[in-house]
Amino acid sequence: MAHVSDPGTHWTAGDPARLATLIRLRAVRMVAPHGFGYLGQALSSAEQVAALFAVMTPGEDRLVCSPGHYVIGIFAAAAELGLLDEDAVSTYGQDGSHIEAIGTERSPVADYVCGSLGQGLSGAVGFALSDRLRHKRRRTFALLSDGELEEGQVWEAAMFAGHHRLDRLTVLLDANNSQVDGPVDAITTIEPIKAKWEAFGWAAHDIDGHDVGAVIEGLTMAGDAKQPSVLINRTSTAHGLRCLPPDADGHFIKLPPELAARAEAELTAELERLHG
Amino acid sequence: MADVLNQPPYPTVLKPYGQSLVELAKERDEVVCFSGDLTRQCEIDLFAEAFPDRFIHAGMAEANMIGMAAALARDGFVPFVHTFGVFATRRPLDQIINAVAFPNLKVRILGFMPGVSSPGGPSHQAIDDVALMRAIPNLTVLDVADAVEVRQVPRAIVDVDGPVYVRLKRGEIPVIFGDEHRLSLDRADVLTPLGGVVALLASGMMLASALAAARVLEAHGVSVTVVNVPVIKPLDAATVTEVAGAARAVVTAENHTVVGGLGTAVAEVLAEAGLGRPLRRVGLRDTFAEGAKTAPYLFGRYGLSTQASIDAAWAALGKTVHVPVAEVAPAEEGEYAPV
Repeated sequence: MAHVSDPGTHWTAGDPARLATLIRLRAVRMVAPHGFGYLGQALSSAEQVAALFAVMTPGEDRLVCSPGHYVIGIFAAAAELGLLDEDAVSTYGQDGSHIEAIGTERSPVADYVCGSLGQGLSGAVGFALSDRLRHKRRRTFALLSDGELEEGQVWEAAMFAGHHRLDRLTVLLDANNSQVDGPVDAITTIEPIKAKWEAFGWAAHDIDGHDVGAVIEGLTMAGDAKQPSVLINRTSTAHGLRCLPPDADGHFIKLPPELAARAEAELTAELERLHG
Repeated sequence: MADVLNQPPYPTVLKPYGQSLVELAKERDEVVCFSGDLTRQCEIDLFAEAFPDRFIHAGMAEANMIGMAAALARDGFVPFVHTFGVFATRRPLDQIINAVAFPNLKVRILGFMPGVSSPGGPSHQAIDDVALMRAIPNLTVLDVADAVEVRQVPRAIVDVDGPVYVRLKRGEIPVIFGDEHRLSLDRADVLTPLGGVVALLASGMMLASALAAARVLEAHGVSVTVVNVPVIKPLDAATVTEVAGAARAVVTAENHTVVGGLGTAVAEVLAEAGLGRPLRRVGLRDTFAEGAKTAPYLFGRYGLSTQASIDAAWAALGKTVHVPVAEVAPAEEGEYAPV
């Protein structure tokens, strides 16, 4: 499979809570050979990615991943759903691999992946506009991170989408309060996020981003909105992995072999619990 | 030659830029420091600790950061603006041109992780920053080679009457020069005797591989004049014409696309001087690179190895067979050697 919207693409999402845990486990295994990486992005977005695969219409709806560092979670989900070859996923981030750690133009699964932050929403707006021009009713989903709200381009795109009432566009905003230099709110006040998007003409919903049921409900509701929608998913870059040290750097988590083994054991036990 | 050169593998030092900026700021109250959310990565955590009141965190908002820095420069401050090279040049290009370069303001833009020293893929690899900045009137553009030069950067650029762009390697920085080496904004450094059959001009991280290539070529009977070119604009045209005029062939080496950077600048000088010499440009061949695990892999894959400089010199001399083979010096932890 190249991209989720390619005609003929199929998957069966299954239990989204279980998929979220599988994403975490797979992400641990992808990062472990490097000893560090974008595990925090997978941990904070696992439920959102699982919910996306539960709600998206395979072979039709489009997915944009704005922060390229987040492709790890999308790759992990795609591997679990049989959309991406497991051997390829195991080369994540290695020399010569096309499964690059920071997503690029050649990254599979999502229809459009940006590596430079703050640019994905414009792409998603363009997709939604293109579908409107061609009278297509399919949806466009865009995964954004809260740190990206510091970039002006996001608001240029938001203003355009609100003005044109691009109702087939839905943003999943991963509000994990994490950027390279630390908590987002320690660097720039981006709150009130909900009121900002509403002021730009969007339907905005503030939800618990680790409640996969709530994310699915929000995505479903957004499909009936008369304007573009944004789900502000409150999350943590450490969620679902208790063994991480409290001071783990959410942007770039260190995962030495001993910690990776504990993480794998913890998530394997969690999967067995979900199964039982 | 005045410069004493270390031999590879080179010893390395950590954060020479960040320390040196703090030293400068102790003497110069007008120096202020901007961060675009990569504070530790740009070594300015040291500045933030030493001078919290003169440290401005702009967040991930490069266009606004440049616009603010330009206004501070109008008021007599000397802003040093920091982020990765891609974000420092591509994102706020219009702001650099209109808010900084046209009014010729003393804004210093420091772009970290040049070329394929970043394994982070095309979005994180500044392969075109020199070309972009060189095209803008009034800008001075630097790509320095080692820690001895890096340490001298803040002091060397603080009083330049206009905007300056510097690309800086991140992390462990090799020490190639002796302590007595002086970074000059006016002249390139001729490091091996003038009159080499090949003139090999290198900037930034490519100096180490240029020196390694020269050693191999010398061992195979080809004399090489190696020139360190830390200032790509304004280019020291006099030195370029002097070394090229004495040589049969010219090779340039840059950790950058061959379009618009050092190789282009040298070609312009040679052509305008009417100096016909075969020229080979070592650099990315008008291509994007890719994400990987390690920078050395990318230096090999994208034609930035020592062997690439040897091949280029051989081809420029019109030789086709018996190409000398580079020996890659193994580097231990804490050392640097070119691939």
